[in-house]
Amino acid sequence: MVVKGSMIAAPNSNTHRKNLIPAIGYGAVICLLACLPLIFKSPYILHLFILTLIYIIAAASMRFIMTSGQIPLAHAAFLGLGAYVSAVLSKHVGLSPWLALIIAALVSMCVGIAISFPFARLKAFYYAMISLFFGVGLLQGIESLGKLTGGLAGITSIPTLFSTGSKVPYYYVFLALTIISLAILFRFESCRIGWNLKAIDQSYLVSSSVGISEVKYRVIAVAIGCFFVGLAGGMYANYNVTISPSSFDTTATLWMIIYVAIGGTNDFAGPIIGTAVLFLIPQYFSGLKQYTPFVSAAVLFAVIFAFRDGLVSIPRLIRTRYQRKKVKVQTDDS
Amino acid sequence: MILEISGLTKNFGGLAAVSGMNITVNDGEVLGLIGPNGAGKSTLFNLITGVIQPTKGTVVFKGKDITGKRPHVIAELGIGRTFQLNPLFPNFTVLQNVISSFQIRPRSNLFDTFFNTPVYRKNEAYILEQSLEILQLVGLYKVRNELAKNQPHGYQKMLGVARALAIKPELLLLDEPIAGMNPDEIDNTIEAIKRTSQLGVTIILVEHNMKILEICNRVVVINFGQKIVEGTPQEIKENPEVIKAYLGSGHDTQH
Repeated sequence: MVVKGSMIAAPNSNTHRKNLIPAIGYGAVICLLACLPLIFKSPYILHLFILTLIYIIAAASMRFIMTSGQIPLAHAAFLGLGAYVSAVLSKHVGLSPWLALIIAALVSMCVGIAISFPFARLKAFYYAMISLFFGVGLLQGIESLGKLTGGLAGITSIPTLFSTGSKVPYYYVFLALTIISLAILFRFESCRIGWNLKAIDQSYLVSSSVGISEVKYRVIAVAIGCFFVGLAGGMYANYNVTISPSSFDTTATLWMIIYVAIGGTNDFAGPIIGTAVLFLIPQYFSGLKQYTPFVSAAVLFAVIFAFRDGLVSIPRLIRTRYQRKKVKVQTDDS
Repeated sequence: MILEISGLTKNFGGLAAVSGMNITVNDGEVLGLIGPNGAGKSTLFNLITGVIQPTKGTVVFKGKDITGKRPHVIAELGIGRTFQLNPLFPNFTVLQNVISSFQIRPRSNLFDTFFNTPVYRKNEAYILEQSLEILQLVGLYKVRNELAKNQPHGYQKMLGVARALAIKPELLLLDEPIAGMNPDEIDNTIEAIKRTSQLGVTIILVEHNMKILEICNRVVVINFGQKIVEGTPQEIKENPEVIKAYLGSGHDTQH
């Protein structure tokens, strides 16, 4: 994993001005996103935007776990765990859906911590296997609790967060939740915790020799990742009203991995761009929907052959090519 | 006496990589550990730092039994080490390598780290200052903003030493610090090791190269996982057993 930026800002007076340009950029993007319901009035398109927001949280949390070098193949199962906990609590126990959402995230986090302790020292491939089995098992477990979870058919008529039929309040609340989640994940990544995870990924031997505890930091990574994916699951359940196990199976995990990989695993923005491109575009052009696997495969090939670091690296590649050309022109002149 | 190894044994299947090793290391000395390939030198380092678990025996550091503790715990207690191969984080810059090696003194808790409190910022500012100082000590200050993996072999090895110094060790284990270096780099490295030793750090170093003997106070020679001789560098150079271990016994003398 390539690492950019510095852990702490250089103590010079320019830092404030340097931070201003990205801040304006983020502000502009958020304003644009806030205007979307005014531009697109169709409920179907708003529905797609809302699902995209949910998957962005899921994919970003998955990438956070991946920074330490482990591949969590149980991630969609954790999305399902969050969804089911939230659905059961709000429907059968009668808790407020808002409270159920938070509890779903916390339950997902606790389960994540419980399974990551014994497996924290496994390397990528072995962890992938173990988590794959765990994910399948978790989903089977949920399915087998027939009375509570409705088995294969799932749960229907889950209490919703808002009583209105409009999707606009969902969009705004979920947008806010997404921004908060991403801000928290970004902070975790850019402080020493994120750096230690990247250090463990590069060499666990070297990192343990300077006092970084592999188990501690990997458990932290999984705890944070599972918290946010549980939150995303809860959002999904209380928005979508019905859930069934098939939405959270291994295929769903693989799609998340594809979102992260195509967007770019090295950049924080990777899963965000990847999800937006691969989830939204095929669904938006509904005529294309049946070709989704082909479109995704084409994008995947393009990424593998042309942009190793994912779609987010395209602007950077263009910039370096442009600079190289400029240097060449200068040398030609002289 | 800062480190006491007694009866340390490690068997890999039927092979005794280290058997019944007894070594004591005094405060502030530079101890050389030499021996031919496969003599068990690196295994001994891995046993001391907890990377592998001994079959038998104990390691006592400053009066505390550290046998079988996890590597990061041993690092916290003040034993720093370098590695023979890949001694660094390749995708960090040279400076980031040293900064991210400051984990223990000072250490910020998770709350301070996440919320970027004044405590965290003060710690990080101190770490930056200390890191630059260490880079100056080992002579890597000018390449501090370049990626570690793009550095020449000698620089990477020195960066390994810089990383180990970042944990503020009382005992520093250097695994073949000059292997594969050119004569200039060897001179610089030996200079840096001397300076580190003057700061009061006890050093154990493993080396094939007999040149390193000139900076050691005491040398232990091992072969086949056992200590064969111990003494001053001068005694070691003249010892017939050492010559035998390195050159083999002559075929023409006995027959």
